[in-house]
Amino acid sequence: MEARGLERRFDGGRVQALRGADFVVREGEFVAVMGPSGSGKSTLLQLLGALDRPSGGEVLFRGEPLGAVHDLAGFRARTLGFIFQSFHLLPTLTAAENVQVPMFEMPWPPRERRARAEALLAAVGLGERLDHRPATLSGGERQRVAIARSLANGPQLLLADEPTGNLDSESAGKILDLLERIHAERGMTLVVVTHDPRVAGRARRTLRMLDGRVVSDEDQREGAPCSS
Amino acid sequence: MLFLTVVLKNLLRRPARSLLTLAGIAIGVAAVVALTSVAWGFEGSWERAYAARGTDLIVTKVTSQSPMPAPFSESKRAELLRMPHVRQVNGLLSDLVSIEESPTVLVFGWEPGGFLWEHLHLVQGRWPADEKEKTAVLGVVAADILKKGVGSTVVVETGEYTVCGIFDSGALVENGAVILTLPQLQQVTENEGKVNFFNLRLDPGTTPAELEDLRAAIRARFPGFSAFTAGEVAQNNSAIRVAKAMSWATSLLALLVGAVGVMNTVLMSVFERTHEIGVLLAIGWRRSRIVRLILYESMVLSLSGGIAGSALGFAAVKLLQWSPILRGKIEGEVSPGLFAVALSVALGLGMLGGLYPAYRGSRLPPGEALRYE
Repeated sequence: MEARGLERRFDGGRVQALRGADFVVREGEFVAVMGPSGSGKSTLLQLLGALDRPSGGEVLFRGEPLGAVHDLAGFRARTLGFIFQSFHLLPTLTAAENVQVPMFEMPWPPRERRARAEALLAAVGLGERLDHRPATLSGGERQRVAIARSLANGPQLLLADEPTGNLDSESAGKILDLLERIHAERGMTLVVVTHDPRVAGRARRTLRMLDGRVVSDEDQREGAPCSS
Repeated sequence: MLFLTVVLKNLLRRPARSLLTLAGIAIGVAAVVALTSVAWGFEGSWERAYAARGTDLIVTKVTSQSPMPAPFSESKRAELLRMPHVRQVNGLLSDLVSIEESPTVLVFGWEPGGFLWEHLHLVQGRWPADEKEKTAVLGVVAADILKKGVGSTVVVETGEYTVCGIFDSGALVENGAVILTLPQLQQVTENEGKVNFFNLRLDPGTTPAELEDLRAAIRARFPGFSAFTAGEVAQNNSAIRVAKAMSWATSLLALLVGAVGVMNTVLMSVFERTHEIGVLLAIGWRRSRIVRLILYESMVLSLSGGIAGSALGFAAVKLLQWSPILRGKIEGEVSPGLFAVALSVALGLGMLGGLYPAYRGSRLPPGEALRYE
């Protein structure tokens, strides 16, 4: 995935959230995007997730500009998985039902959807909590359900916006373990927007943002910058 | 999980609000059902009465669309009898009069020995012996309402009549009526020599084309008169027309009020779930699925209201039928056709009320919806 001169303005140009972001995320990478509030991290994530259109520049997925993708909803359904800070589970649905919500866009019969949801919830350690509603789950458990939901359609790219932002440090640690494990086991690309240095510590690469620009790009494990 | 599970569980998220909207729709649909049922029942009752009498054609003044047309001279009978295919002609005089405690009772004057009597089934007593006898027969419902039995006296206008029999007919309009012989009613209503309907029986095997020719001939021979078939008389009856118009007007109002109610509820729930719609779009839902979600929610809501409203409407008709004022005068029709109309009205409500919210919900840009708190 590649961002080329990515710009995003709001309010008729009065607010400039992104001022030309350039970077490449290679397939299978675990990238953390860090920066203070208002630095454009979440806007960047929305552009990468085809939820918003850039005011300038473009996002390319496997070389193809997202602007040229005819079926963006289909692209999101099949290629992307989203994880949010506030989980955003549907409150009236059980854990297993929440995980099935994205699957309506796939040609799977109800029984297969249920079986896949059960397998995914078991994989995130919630095999015993299938029929619990979000209100009866802890914050960490809700985020696990949300992670299972993000994996529902077998995405190639996982986009997480402050996935540990609403969790205590113990739950946050477990969620990071889980994300790391999923990344390793499934080999999918993982982009995490975060304030939390512990999250960045788990990522291989960290993009630092300030005032709508990527100001540094570091390979955490090797300690060497990739580009700037 | 089925898609419908999401729809139903969304509606249960705010049970009080859903229930209130459902109640609003149910009341609207109940009004539609009750009025339509009475209107259709009224029409059906007259149609059944004419059909039971074995009347092929009814001749009356063409301007008279009320159930009680102005009386006219019965001298046309002989001419009518001479017309092709006409086998029998029975004059009939009818009027709405107040009898004792009952404000309006339908009173018929029928020719003694005429074919109109043939379809009645005598439950008690006997038929009037001749036209000179001051007797009356009562339909079972009229006897019940007036609390009269064989041997009692009924006062019609200025005349006193002894009840000589109680009969049962297939049609409520007749069961709720008092029947005198034609000369007796003509005399007491000061309409000597007058009737307001001729009931014609035609030769068996008269073809529809021959029937049409006869109708044309009657119109030509008697200017200002027309000949209707049984169904047409009921359709042209002004009371039935008013009842039908009222039921349509109420349906339209209920549809509008209900649609606004549904729209309000669904629109509110869409606004409340702006962020959630953003999440659904983010996880890959197409806009068409958002439209379906919102439309299905509003349709499930209104269809449930429609079913509850139909039950309520049919119950209201039963109550009205047994109320002291309307007993014996209305006969609600409870048919699958009416149930289908009620459900169509309810579904219409759902569609109408859900379309705009669905449009609004589906047009939300996902990024903007996600930023919405």
